[in-house]
Amino acid sequence: MFGVQLMLIGMVTVFAILLIVIYGSRLLVHVINKFVPAEVVTAKGKGDDVPMNVLQQAVSQITGGKGHIVKVTKVSK
Amino acid sequence: MGSIGDIFQRLYDMTAISSIIADPSFLLMYLIAFGLLYLGVVKHYEPLLLVPIAFGVLIANFPGGEMGVIQADSAGMVPLADGTMESIWDMPLHKIAHEFGIMNYLYYALIKSGLLPPIIFMGVGALTDFGPMLRNLKLAIFGAAAQFGIFAVLLVSLAIGFTPQEAASLGIIGGADGPTAIFTTIKLAPHLLGPIAIAAYSYMALVPVIIPLVVKALCSEKELKINMKEQDKLYPQNMEIKNMRAVKIIFPIAVTTIVALLVPTAVPLIGMLMFGNLIKEIGADTSRLFQTASNGLMNTATIFLGLCVGATMTSDAFLNFKTLGIVAGGFCAFALSIASGILMVKVWNLFAKKKINPLVGATGLSAVPMASRVCNGISTKYDPKNHVLNYCMASNIAGVIGSAVAAGVLISFLG
Repeated sequence: MFGVQLMLIGMVTVFAILLIVIYGSRLLVHVINKFVPAEVVTAKGKGDDVPMNVLQQAVSQITGGKGHIVKVTKVSK
Repeated sequence: MGSIGDIFQRLYDMTAISSIIADPSFLLMYLIAFGLLYLGVVKHYEPLLLVPIAFGVLIANFPGGEMGVIQADSAGMVPLADGTMESIWDMPLHKIAHEFGIMNYLYYALIKSGLLPPIIFMGVGALTDFGPMLRNLKLAIFGAAAQFGIFAVLLVSLAIGFTPQEAASLGIIGGADGPTAIFTTIKLAPHLLGPIAIAAYSYMALVPVIIPLVVKALCSEKELKINMKEQDKLYPQNMEIKNMRAVKIIFPIAVTTIVALLVPTAVPLIGMLMFGNLIKEIGADTSRLFQTASNGLMNTATIFLGLCVGATMTSDAFLNFKTLGIVAGGFCAFALSIASGILMVKVWNLFAKKKINPLVGATGLSAVPMASRVCNGISTKYDPKNHVLNYCMASNIAGVIGSAVAAGVLISFLG
């Protein structure tokens, strides 16, 4: 009897915690979507992804996440 | 000065050979060690774990080497060299090292103290990406279903005469999480730590063998061909994550807070797991901490954990019916956890329009990321274009949280 009780308590707790994690995470995503600026995703497949990411990180760091790189132009000498 | 014969006799007595001939059970332990080494080195089954464990088994079973972990009785009493008995818990570490050798020092300082499992959890957290779970949140529920094996084996173990604490420690093997199994056993049944740790890590290493066995027994080819990406196209998710980085940073803080409030006994594991993950997700500002947690510290902890766990597997500790029962029961717990995850997916598919590949349920046990890799291999075997890795990772990562919570519940009620 004790074992069955423990099984019920254990499984209910595990399900409850993971349901809280699932629905809590959904809530978290909604809140972040609403209040935090969207991430800037650089185009995939281009050879300059890594430098672009570095530049974007640097701009984000300096501007507190508000600044974004819109265009990068290569200047020839 | 003795005769030549006396000298040879003393030389013979000095070697381990005399003790091995007197007690041939050591030979069986060497075979087990060689078998585990074969699996780790040749078959590449979890070599980072199996190689230190297997080598620990090997060096622990050379008589006179003093590398085997001594077995304390249920009251913690151990025999000293002078024939007297003393409680291991009252002995300072330097005395343990002096009386029983350096491996016992490491074992009692790092394992029995409960230090290494949370440190390994921190490293696991630092190596874990919660992204796949956050993108497929619904699938995380299968990480809960797969904990059924823990409690089913607990019930059976109680019925066949194990104490509740021993039964819980045996059942937790079904969580497929070595550090969790060790942490729970230290708290509930420390005298069973050796066989339980061995069973837990051996079965984790044998995930590539056990999961296909259970999947083959329970799933049809049609079910295994369910293509999750096509299902996503047919029934798209209505939740878009615009700033994944922010979600990933807040997620470990939120989960730790929730679990700490509801199951505080799981905090040593979940808290460290989430701390490791947080320092990874913060990025450049904590990159030095991340590097240490995921490389140096994790590798150091794994070496000592593996060697110490292997060293608990001495012939007198391993070759008895209780240990063999634990090894058999652990297998049942493991297989039942996989089966219960699969069965929950099957029940889900009865009612849901969007079908789920049962392999997602099979990965509800921890064993990250090997279980997911194995299941991805199974799905691509049936359909080379059907990659389920990311979907399996969702339930797989949730399984880590699930098994730690299950451990917390068991420790709360039985500790």
